[in-house]
Amino acid sequence: MELDSRLVRCFASVFPDLTTEQIKQASGKTVPTWDSLAAVTLIAVVEQEFGIDVNPLDLGDLNSYSAMKDYLRHRLNGRMSERSNP
Amino acid sequence: MKLLTALDVLKQRLPEGGPVREVFLACGFTPIHLQTFLAAHLQLYFPTERIEITTGVYGDLVGNLERLQPAATRLSALCVVIEWSDLDPRLGIRNLGGWDVSDIPDVLESLHQHSQRLCQAIERFCGTVPISISMPTLPIPPLFISPLHQQHHHELQLREAVASMAASLSRNQGIRIVSSQRLDELSPALQRFDVKAEILSGFPYSLDHASTLAELLAATIRNAPPRKGLITDLDGTLWSGILGEAGVDGICWEMDGRAHIHGLYQQFLASLASAGVLIAVASRNDEALVEQALSRKDMLLKRDSLFPLEVHWGLKSESVRRILRTWNIGPDAVVFVDDSPMEVAEVHEAFPEMDCIVFPNNNYQAFWDLMRRLRNSFGKSTVSIEDSIRLQSIRTVAAIGQSLQDAEGRADEFLKNAEASIVFSLGRDVHDSRALELINKTNQFNLNGKRFSESDWIGYLNEPGAFLLTANYEDKYGPLGKVSVLIGRDNGSLLTVDGWAMSCRAFSRRIEYQILRYLFDVFRFEEIIFEYRKTDRNGPLQGFFARLLQRPPDSVVRISNRCFSQRAPSLYHRVEDTLRHGA
Repeated sequence: MELDSRLVRCFASVFPDLTTEQIKQASGKTVPTWDSLAAVTLIAVVEQEFGIDVNPLDLGDLNSYSAMKDYLRHRLNGRMSERSNP
Repeated sequence: MKLLTALDVLKQRLPEGGPVREVFLACGFTPIHLQTFLAAHLQLYFPTERIEITTGVYGDLVGNLERLQPAATRLSALCVVIEWSDLDPRLGIRNLGGWDVSDIPDVLESLHQHSQRLCQAIERFCGTVPISISMPTLPIPPLFISPLHQQHHHELQLREAVASMAASLSRNQGIRIVSSQRLDELSPALQRFDVKAEILSGFPYSLDHASTLAELLAATIRNAPPRKGLITDLDGTLWSGILGEAGVDGICWEMDGRAHIHGLYQQFLASLASAGVLIAVASRNDEALVEQALSRKDMLLKRDSLFPLEVHWGLKSESVRRILRTWNIGPDAVVFVDDSPMEVAEVHEAFPEMDCIVFPNNNYQAFWDLMRRLRNSFGKSTVSIEDSIRLQSIRTVAAIGQSLQDAEGRADEFLKNAEASIVFSLGRDVHDSRALELINKTNQFNLNGKRFSESDWIGYLNEPGAFLLTANYEDKYGPLGKVSVLIGRDNGSLLTVDGWAMSCRAFSRRIEYQILRYLFDVFRFEEIIFEYRKTDRNGPLQGFFARLLQRPPDSVVRISNRCFSQRAPSLYHRVEDTLRHGA
């Protein structure tokens, strides 16, 4: 839930004209303003907001809200399990 | 500032149609996040203006500047961000031009050529727009043969060339260089370069570094006016010890008395005073003892630098009120320093706009921070002639203020004997910062209360027919410096005055009449039009027009030469006219 709202906020800052519902459906194909500049800005906002460093090889796959959310869930869960390891 | 916050700031954009502040961001890299942060920081500084940032093309910093035509732009500011790769692409990591040992001398040669071309491209804009410059902030790639802990002479030569370029640029009026020392404090060197972003998108800065650099660039563009006066306590502040208990010889400010910070404080205040900052004393003390103490030969802050002295046992806030009246400046232009938290609180309550600071006795680090804070509050680019005579002029005004009042009804006699002279300067010197300051700070004798940004000012004076007239005043009591500024347009058939301000220090000397006489004499129009607007505070100007018109002034005031000649009082000034520049 928290991840969702934080990610929506990131998208809203880059795509201010989209509603929350539109953001959750957003992808490079459905949002006309999702160009290369917006993509770079979005990744930078997400990296800073969630304190992660996106691997350059993963960038091409992060082309929709749902892909970004799945990626973050995976990365953040991974971080939590890493932390729990002694 | 986080990128998310910056984007949020920019989301609240003002509607189109209002005032716009357009800034050209010239850089050789992809400006993306720096552009966002710069726009956001500027938006916070200028909340009522719509911020527009334009940029050039990737990889061509000099070309971006050369393609921009100074005369054709209506920019509010030009922002130039230089990185090593702009001086030679081999000093970046996106080009593979070669780092062989044999390449390095050529890199140095190329850097010299690029820096010269860059200086020329930047200096074309001097006098047309304020310019903020950031010199290279990123680490030089590891292309030198020496280990990291050792500087190679080639690296030192590179740094020397860039430092020399910065020094040369900073000598131009209107160019401000971002402080590398301040940037070092705020943005750690190792955390500035984002290698991934540089390689993938051509943006070399980490987000934190981009935000910090943008903040400093925005601050140089904003160019906030410095504060003007400092009111200091004595016991426990200007010196260590209580004068009334320890006596004149018992107070100290030397290292051996563990009072060194008081010596440093005196030295610092002397430095401020030499740069035109007014320094006054507010102290609960015995006046005669204070005079003796301030006359000690080893005082680092000389007695002459202090005016006025408010030394008595009354409230500090009352002392401050009288000092402000003598200086004739507002509390927001003043800093108050006292070692007593209670006194500081009392003054702050009376003057919430004043920066009131507790002197940090026995805390050396806090004292260091205090000096830096004060330098920031009073910081300026240059010391003007007005700065150097401000204190003397205020002393003079205070001394003859009573004489002028006493001379009521005998004004002609008084002014006749004042041996007054006015030096007029007619031209369009866009770098006359005192003129801009007078227009923007003066309320009482101000034609319409209109304020100008630096770029508006430059833009106005660059219009065809525009002129700037300033008046410097001096009489036998001392110089008052540049006391009046007037801007207008001569279109060949009409003379229109769009702005006019006169320092209230110069009232009652008929300088305003002499200025009108000068306009009639020089421009030879039968009538002058004034773009007058009544404000809450320009009563003295309203009175001046009412005396000439013999009725309250309308929104646009027209004064004919005939009317002026009939109604102006006798004028006794000796008038000089300096060279006219292009008016």
